[in-house]
Amino acid sequence: MQLENLNLNYWAIAPEIIASLVGVLIMLVDAFSKRGARRANAVIALIGLAAALISTVRLDWMGRGGYFGGMVVIDPIRIFFSVTILIVSIVVVLLAGQFLRDEGLPPGEFFSLIMFGTSGMLLLAAAGDLVTVFLGLEIASITTYIMAGYRRYDVRSNESSLKYFLLGSFSTAFLLYGMALTYGATKTTNIDGIRQAISAGQIDYPALLLVGAAMMLVGFGFKIASAPFHLWTPDVYEGAPTIVTGFMGTGPKVAVFAAFLRVFAGSFGVTATSIGTQLHDTWLAALMVIAMITMTIGNVIAISQKNVKRLLAYSSIAHAGYALVGFATGEVASVAFYMLTYSIMSLGAFAVIQLLARAGDRKTEIADYAGIGFEVPGLSFPLAIFLLSLAGIPPTAGFMSKFYIFKTAWSQNNYDLKFLVIVAVVNSIISVYYYLYPIVVMFFRPLVPGFVKPRVGAATALALILTVLGIFYLGILPNRLLKAMERGSLSSQSPQVQVMNKNR
Amino acid sequence: MNIITITTFLPLIGGIVLLLYSILASRGGDQERLKGQYRVLTLLITIVTFVVSLLILVAFDYSQSGPQLVQKTPWIGALGVSYFVGVDGISLWLVLLTTFLMPVAILASWHVEKRVREYMLFMLLLETGMIGVFVSFDMFLFYLFFEITLIPMYFLIGVWGSDRRIYAAIKFFIYTMVGSLLMLVAIIAVYLYNGGTTFDIIEITNNIATGKLVIPHDVKFWLWLAFAFAFFIKVPLFPLHTWLPDAHVEAPTAASIILAGILLKMGTYGLMRFNLPFFPEISRQAAPYVMLFAVIGIVYGALVAMVQPDMKKLVAYSSVSHLGFVVMGIFAFTEQAMQGALYQMLNHGVSSGALFLCVGLLYDRRHTREINEYGGVATPMPQYSTMFTIIALSSLGLPLLNGFVGEFLILLGTFTSTVPNARAFAIVGASGVILSAVYLLWMLQRVVFGEITKKENATLKDMNPREMFSLVPLVIMAIVMGVVPMAFLRASEKSVNGIKQAVEAKILKAAK
Repeated sequence: MQLENLNLNYWAIAPEIIASLVGVLIMLVDAFSKRGARRANAVIALIGLAAALISTVRLDWMGRGGYFGGMVVIDPIRIFFSVTILIVSIVVVLLAGQFLRDEGLPPGEFFSLIMFGTSGMLLLAAAGDLVTVFLGLEIASITTYIMAGYRRYDVRSNESSLKYFLLGSFSTAFLLYGMALTYGATKTTNIDGIRQAISAGQIDYPALLLVGAAMMLVGFGFKIASAPFHLWTPDVYEGAPTIVTGFMGTGPKVAVFAAFLRVFAGSFGVTATSIGTQLHDTWLAALMVIAMITMTIGNVIAISQKNVKRLLAYSSIAHAGYALVGFATGEVASVAFYMLTYSIMSLGAFAVIQLLARAGDRKTEIADYAGIGFEVPGLSFPLAIFLLSLAGIPPTAGFMSKFYIFKTAWSQNNYDLKFLVIVAVVNSIISVYYYLYPIVVMFFRPLVPGFVKPRVGAATALALILTVLGIFYLGILPNRLLKAMERGSLSSQSPQVQVMNKNR
Repeated sequence: MNIITITTFLPLIGGIVLLLYSILASRGGDQERLKGQYRVLTLLITIVTFVVSLLILVAFDYSQSGPQLVQKTPWIGALGVSYFVGVDGISLWLVLLTTFLMPVAILASWHVEKRVREYMLFMLLLETGMIGVFVSFDMFLFYLFFEITLIPMYFLIGVWGSDRRIYAAIKFFIYTMVGSLLMLVAIIAVYLYNGGTTFDIIEITNNIATGKLVIPHDVKFWLWLAFAFAFFIKVPLFPLHTWLPDAHVEAPTAASIILAGILLKMGTYGLMRFNLPFFPEISRQAAPYVMLFAVIGIVYGALVAMVQPDMKKLVAYSSVSHLGFVVMGIFAFTEQAMQGALYQMLNHGVSSGALFLCVGLLYDRRHTREINEYGGVATPMPQYSTMFTIIALSSLGLPLLNGFVGEFLILLGTFTSTVPNARAFAIVGASGVILSAVYLLWMLQRVVFGEITKKENATLKDMNPREMFSLVPLVIMAIVMGVVPMAFLRASEKSVNGIKQAVEAKILKAAK
């Protein structure tokens, strides 16, 4: 903590404060209402998220740089990733109402967990210090552990929760150990301080720093489900209630990517000194290998999946790999844009599956959806759009974000990156095969007997419409957003440097 | 509003109108009557689109080689993407071919009873995509439309196709995706070599011609290959053709007409639009090899077509053979051959579209496409048989019908080409003309002429007015294009010359 410059300003953590206070408020409302005020809680959560969104956008007018002694920062990464996280939470809240009613689960806790999780993720995206990274990560993780086990009479849900908890804690330990070693090497936990230490070459034990960085890479790698740290994903995604799967597959991943970027592309990306260069080259090489195997493993294994949730789990692994290609370029904007589009299409897909799977997630085999295409066009066509978007077919957002990553990676004069793009393209071709499979089953096969059309509530319909529109908006008219990211200099090589320069 | 933009998006807007109408009218409406309304509405939309597209022809200036009637507006400024549409001599006729074949295809799908509304929506979406491909002068936009055509065709084959439709649909989709994703990388690379500010095809072409944009030589070949691979799959050039027979056999009649008539042309069009102007030297160096594959395709396609017991498969393989001619003509780099190639694209669109229609008409009556099941169809169906014969003759290149002009120009142009071994290729390729006569006439003989061998065939009904309306325009076009080819060739002359000269200038420069 930089004690000489505390810079206390509560507006700088307004989104986080609002999210956690609303979480508490929901618990209180729930406690004092008789039969669990599902609708009231949802409305309060939505209002809270909207307020958090406004205060996040408001951060754009505040001075860039560190607040609270550098514990949190305001920079384009934070603003952009926070907006993405809040969009995810809003969609999940819209979907949660119907889920809770259909399953007959208590509503209060669920909404407050979403809010606490959101505050944790926002904090993670805002972290300017390794301590805050850990804090945010733990808040976000623990809430998702609970949410994964929310259907507590269901064995699969319990298994999912326990697995997630054990492996999550394991990875957090790695991360924490890495942070400790990094602290030992640089004598600071402040992310910008680490950057300064590296660029000044004041590292007493370079080996310590390298090992610390490696540990943190493993920890972050676990959290974003990159190979070879992805093994927990399919089981956890399959067992958790579908809506929770949608939530934990997007929100926490987005937040972790923000912190990951800030630590690695920001602090460990300084190549001014020999130790900095060594560190940078080492983690970059490791990251590229991880990106390559993540994409390949995710896509290849997805081909043989018969369960739609497992299919999407492997697909999300693959997408983490594509995002890592953007990461390897050091251009934050491409990752930020990718995570936004990925969140929207992935959430949309899980939303449809949530409806089709029925209470208790009974129908999650792809074969269960045979022939329903023209029976429930309001669900099957959006699902087809989400899948085609995930496959990267224009004019959807998935295409635009992939295009942006490929373009960014190819534009750098680095043959390793170009090779990575080729690998990503080959993977995209593979992915087309399995993304088409549910579409084939839905539209080209005869209808399964005994199919009952699911009832779609107003809030759920709204969430679906918003995600579909979002997909086409980002796919056809991304100009405004891309321009905004450019203006926010989100595409700069090293965001921290920019932030520092602006501060002075 | 720009006329090109209107033509491109009219089908899509029509589709939205159709959707809204169906939502409003479907409550309590009689299902059979609604289906009829959807068909008529779609037919009207496609006819209006055709009429509007004729205005392009009226406004077209024959003396220019560059794009005309353009609309260029910035679209995704952050990436340098612009909405840039127009037509030049190369794309003009392909746009008109598309709008001309669509009403035919809609008429040919009158008997579709399953999910009529969705079928028509996919057809209209497909039309917008196809026109978009031919009018785009921005690489990004081109790629977008190129991919958009995939999805409706995938559904048309997969939902409305015959028994092995799922296999055929997936194969079609994956094959095309493999090519187009590699092309995407090449597009990005060309864009970045050009400074990463624009996807404008004309600007890039000019920069390459003037030497402002120099792509390193070792990269150039791979980029050429990435573009060519995408287009060769689409054409399809031997040995990348295996998706085509499957797709054609399983697709409903109308989808076959569109697939053969227009989608395949997107490949040959792409070669003329990208490979030749962007990489003149590489195209020239690769020409003998490309021609070799084209000639193999001509002969192989014809030989395989000859032994097909299934009429639709026969026509499908004849496409492989005929498109081989087109590719050969494009890579001959003489004016006659390139003009011929362009003309052959149109001919093939008309002739093979009509052939698929003819096969479809028989299939509707007997539900079989086996040649052995027919024989002596001329007796119960004289009108149909006359048309079928004319179309088959046009496809095999009888003088005064359209096929002759294209094939003659291609062979003549290839024979005089300076590409190594071009003469030999022309001679071997010419055998394709003879072989096409063999398989088409033999099919005619077995299907149309002779004694009636199966008693079911004796009572077949001749064409009804709707079928007449769909087939007669194609027959008329086949005759008109055979008699007055200059009316068509005149429009493309300047643009084709432009490409040819650009290639020659580059090669001369390289020689110095």
